[in-house]
Amino acid sequence: MRHTSTLNCFFKLHNYGIVIVLCCLFTNAQAFESDWLPQNLQIHGFLSQGFIHTSDNNFFGKTDDSISTDFRELGINASYRILPELQVAMQVVWRDAGKTDDSNVRIDYGLASYNLYSSENSLLTLRGGRVPTPLGLYNDTRDVASTRPSILLPQSIYFDVNRNLALSADGGYIYGEHRTDYGDFSLNFGVVMPRLDDPDFKNVIVGPDPGKMEGDISWVLRTGYEWENGLVKLAVTYADFNGDYKPSSGALLQPGSWRFNPLILSAQYNAEKWSLTGEYAIRRAQLRNFGAIPDTQFTGQSFYIQGTYRLTSSLEALVRYDDLIWDMDDRKGLKLAQAAPGITNHSRFAQDWTFGLRYEILPALNFSAEYHRINGTGWLSNLENPQGTTQHWDMYTIMMSYDF
Amino acid sequence: MLLFVLMSQVLSAPTPSIYPVVNSALTQNSVSRNGLSAIFRMRLRQWQDGSPITVFVLRDNNPLHQQFCKQVLNVFPHQMRRSWNKLVFSGTGQAPVTVASKDEMVDKIASTPGAIGYLSDEDITEDIKILIIK
Repeated sequence: MRHTSTLNCFFKLHNYGIVIVLCCLFTNAQAFESDWLPQNLQIHGFLSQGFIHTSDNNFFGKTDDSISTDFRELGINASYRILPELQVAMQVVWRDAGKTDDSNVRIDYGLASYNLYSSENSLLTLRGGRVPTPLGLYNDTRDVASTRPSILLPQSIYFDVNRNLALSADGGYIYGEHRTDYGDFSLNFGVVMPRLDDPDFKNVIVGPDPGKMEGDISWVLRTGYEWENGLVKLAVTYADFNGDYKPSSGALLQPGSWRFNPLILSAQYNAEKWSLTGEYAIRRAQLRNFGAIPDTQFTGQSFYIQGTYRLTSSLEALVRYDDLIWDMDDRKGLKLAQAAPGITNHSRFAQDWTFGLRYEILPALNFSAEYHRINGTGWLSNLENPQGTTQHWDMYTIMMSYDF
Repeated sequence: MLLFVLMSQVLSAPTPSIYPVVNSALTQNSVSRNGLSAIFRMRLRQWQDGSPITVFVLRDNNPLHQQFCKQVLNVFPHQMRRSWNKLVFSGTGQAPVTVASKDEMVDKIASTPGAIGYLSDEDITEDIKILIIK
């Protein structure tokens, strides 16, 4: 623990210098990798520093009328191929995202993969440990800025306020892949126990009531199709996430349970200079046996459509429309706002127009800038906005990121 | 003007043929198109006899790398990078070994059992053989 707090302290002191310092350290990373290490051991890493300003409302730190530097991600991973059919890998990440992340060092994944069968046309693999959760197109590597199309992923599907819950979970997966002349088909199925480390998550469900959230047996299934090595990508994801609330003494609520079922349809077309991406999700949420909170069930909808275009070999532009509705039976949140006077109706939806640019300064060193015009506060954290929220707001973000 | 003339000469020069090449000790002589693509996308890690495959590539902006990706693998180089990053940062796979030059590619393939890479025909030496695409 002491080591962790020293590390955090170090990074806080070096808020602005961190990207530069670490880039210098790792500039020669590729040489370091191939000269020092045996060829079956690889070390990779990434780091990013964001700067965020908003016209109203706070997102990842105090951003309203101020510039927040509390969005920082730093990770290092090692993978070791012990046998041709057996690999182990682990990634340690330090992340800060305002009050929505506790800034601790954590293990994002630590897993073993064993190939039961591998041929030129097929692959069957077992994976166990803490495994990245296969949700949609971007979740598996969501921490790594270079794998995201924009500084912030479309929040309607990749909520950052419960990033730890979505990112990875402890359990086992079976993965199969079949490559044909008509494209590659894949199937990934896992049984997991979700991690409930997000400070905002308990708050969303039970508010300030004392106690904690625990994961319960859950499962995830993603099927995918890729044509011409990723020219066209299609995927369908379905998951059944379960968890329980364990109240501590003095709690007003009963030990209830929640259930969350997202169905995500994903499609992407990648041409040489441009790409078009869309994802659509239906999310069903259920709360049961909390006592003072009546048993509830609602279904929400999320979708985004996104285009990117490479203006030059090092400059890419992005436009995206992202739309979130928490409850399809109460699209504008008016019914809920009437029934519960403490809740504003605009917290039940969000429509986000994003315009972004990414400039590749060096291979693997990127500078990005982004403007968001947002109607609604559906994906904002209550923890960061105790003073209330404004319905129409703007967000400006820039980010430096590096990986090796 | 001079630059333009030089450029048009470079552009019109016939591009040399490029082949997937392996360490000549490998018993396997051919691979399917799907298999070759799976090897360079780091999904297939074993030869038919079970021995480990080590993949060598040049940097993303190297013309030979770009030519191999587009002409032989039928994929854009940035798409390859994306799929390697996906494996590396999700703990489910590894990246190929990047070499700095064509000469280093020759050295590594000649000296590493189970190695695969790509070269133009004029650079192929006696410790290296072309892997035939079925």
